[in-house]
Amino acid sequence: MSTTTLTHVQSRAALPAGLTVAATEIGGAALLGAFLLAEATPMVLALLALMGGLFAALQLRPLIEEEILRAFHEARGLATVLAVTIVLIYPFFLGGNTYALHLLIVSLLYSVLALALNFQLGSANIPNFATGATYGIGAYTSALLAIHLGWSFWATLPAAAIVATVFGFLLGIPSMRTRDSYLALVTIAFGIVIHQMLNNLSWTGGPNGLVGIPAPSLLGHSFMQPIELFGFRLPSQANFYYLSAALLGLAILSAKRLHESRVGLAWNAIRADELAAKCQGINVVWYKILAFGVDAFLAAFAGTIYAFYISYISPDNFTFLVSVTIMTMVIVGGMDNTLGVILGAFLLTMLPEKLRVFSDYRLLFVSVVVILFLILRPKGLFPQRQRHYGGQ
Amino acid sequence: MTAPLLQLSGLGIRFGGIVALDGVDLTVAPSTITCIIGPNGAGKSTLFNLITGIYRPTSGTVALQGEDITGLPAHRIATRGIARTFQSSRLFEDLSILDNVIIGMHGRTRTGVLTALLRPKASRRELGACAKQAETILRGISDELHARRYEPAGILPQADRRRLEIARALASRPRLILLDEPSSGMDDRDTAALMADIRRVMADNPGLSFLIIEHDMRLVAELPDSVVVIDYGRKIAEGAFAEVRRLPRVQQAYLGQKAVEHA
Repeated sequence: MSTTTLTHVQSRAALPAGLTVAATEIGGAALLGAFLLAEATPMVLALLALMGGLFAALQLRPLIEEEILRAFHEARGLATVLAVTIVLIYPFFLGGNTYALHLLIVSLLYSVLALALNFQLGSANIPNFATGATYGIGAYTSALLAIHLGWSFWATLPAAAIVATVFGFLLGIPSMRTRDSYLALVTIAFGIVIHQMLNNLSWTGGPNGLVGIPAPSLLGHSFMQPIELFGFRLPSQANFYYLSAALLGLAILSAKRLHESRVGLAWNAIRADELAAKCQGINVVWYKILAFGVDAFLAAFAGTIYAFYISYISPDNFTFLVSVTIMTMVIVGGMDNTLGVILGAFLLTMLPEKLRVFSDYRLLFVSVVVILFLILRPKGLFPQRQRHYGGQ
Repeated sequence: MTAPLLQLSGLGIRFGGIVALDGVDLTVAPSTITCIIGPNGAGKSTLFNLITGIYRPTSGTVALQGEDITGLPAHRIATRGIARTFQSSRLFEDLSILDNVIIGMHGRTRTGVLTALLRPKASRRELGACAKQAETILRGISDELHARRYEPAGILPQADRRRLEIARALASRPRLILLDEPSSGMDDRDTAALMADIRRVMADNPGLSFLIIEHDMRLVAELPDSVVVIDYGRKIAEGAFAEVRRLPRVQQAYLGQKAVEHA
């Protein structure tokens, strides 16, 4: 008897759930597209106001968020298929606008970096100010391997990840002797040391950086070439767009799997209370070092793609400011919430670009917008949610 | 005869010149409740921190079922089968009640980062099984906690926080549970419920022992099999509560020399 009631309820809710999912995803993609293509300042401001209004609505009416989440949970399959489809066809809607594609690629790479840092800052509350440095180590490792040893892009990817992870562990081990603000200081120092080394060593090209990183190719298709498909022609940036999107997909999958495992729980326990975590049998030192390793691993992937995309890297791409920006993305987006972190990364990558009319006051304006969003949503755009088990 | 569950021999620690605990011997048998009493600052919580590996003793040994565990890091001792609660309860406030209990199972689950990434099914299955067990444990402790299992632990009132801490301790399937002032901040009714909880947990888990630091004399009089009195970092008495309370040196420790003389 209860089974029939259940199926009845589900079938009744199935259609609205699918509709809610489709409306949310398509609406979100359209909003992003409009923002990417908006050039007139009034348009940009109007879109920002619209986003602010949406978040205010979510804050005032928590039921809307619950409803959307429920719909996504019910129509998981549809949500994934639709999301992948949107990502795949997205460049076709940008009308060959290479600048919009470029912004999108940088946003995707920063999303990966923010997700990498989220393993530490969001999950385990480790204030790591060196994500920019591990990002740089990844970029330099792959660039050096490609320029001097002629390695292909695909071979440098894992190599850079391994080298950066080793550095991550190297940073993690001394960091374990400190905590909180002191730990933050150690990571800041590490970031500065790396930046200075890149700046002063001769084999890293010094302040001039490394030039002429060869474009990757896949199955004979060079990433310098535009993509031609069904009579459509996508600019060459589209290659890197798909690559970055695939990397972000990998990062999301890793974040989800770790979050929904014993490892994610252990990190959360350490964040909440380190001493109590120890007394539950959690090897706090190991889990913290592990977080450094995972962060470095993902950041190196992003670094490699960045190096090959721009084909020129210099120490100034990997400064302390980059680390702070990544950290702000995690905090503004919402600690330990994948969607929130990605949104934070997109917002903070695109805002400074879209507000160029304010020229010198641009960063001031970005800060004001960030503060406004944090007033609307004090715990970040999408804060952490409780885990549920057994399909609930 | 088999080795006792817990055996402390000559256990001591000094912080610089201060001897916080000195030459404490203590034996805990399986399926027993031992209460540790003593004035504030006597070294009771320090003793717990030594047993659970938060501090390293400067002298003496700790043995669990005959195995030396002196100086092991806290997480290893927890995995060996000693669980504890804290004087001011330390829950994972922003995590759900259920997650708090599941984290208690960390020591006896295995998923590592590679399994989580590459074999998500195995990882999810393990955590799913943990969630089921955690629900059973919660239901055994309190129906209300079970009903509220997806709410964050931080919003619970004091008595429920203690219950949840005990549930989390049970989740590791320990052989010994250390409770640090479990009745602090509880009224008489909550304390009675706490004692009932402890007795029920003992009945459900044969072999499990409790070591309890307590100030509430009603609990100390009723619950334990034996009482240990600590003063100025030394064990000054041990035995049944009815006998221990009559010892002059125990009265002295609690009431002072003069009061005892006038009594």
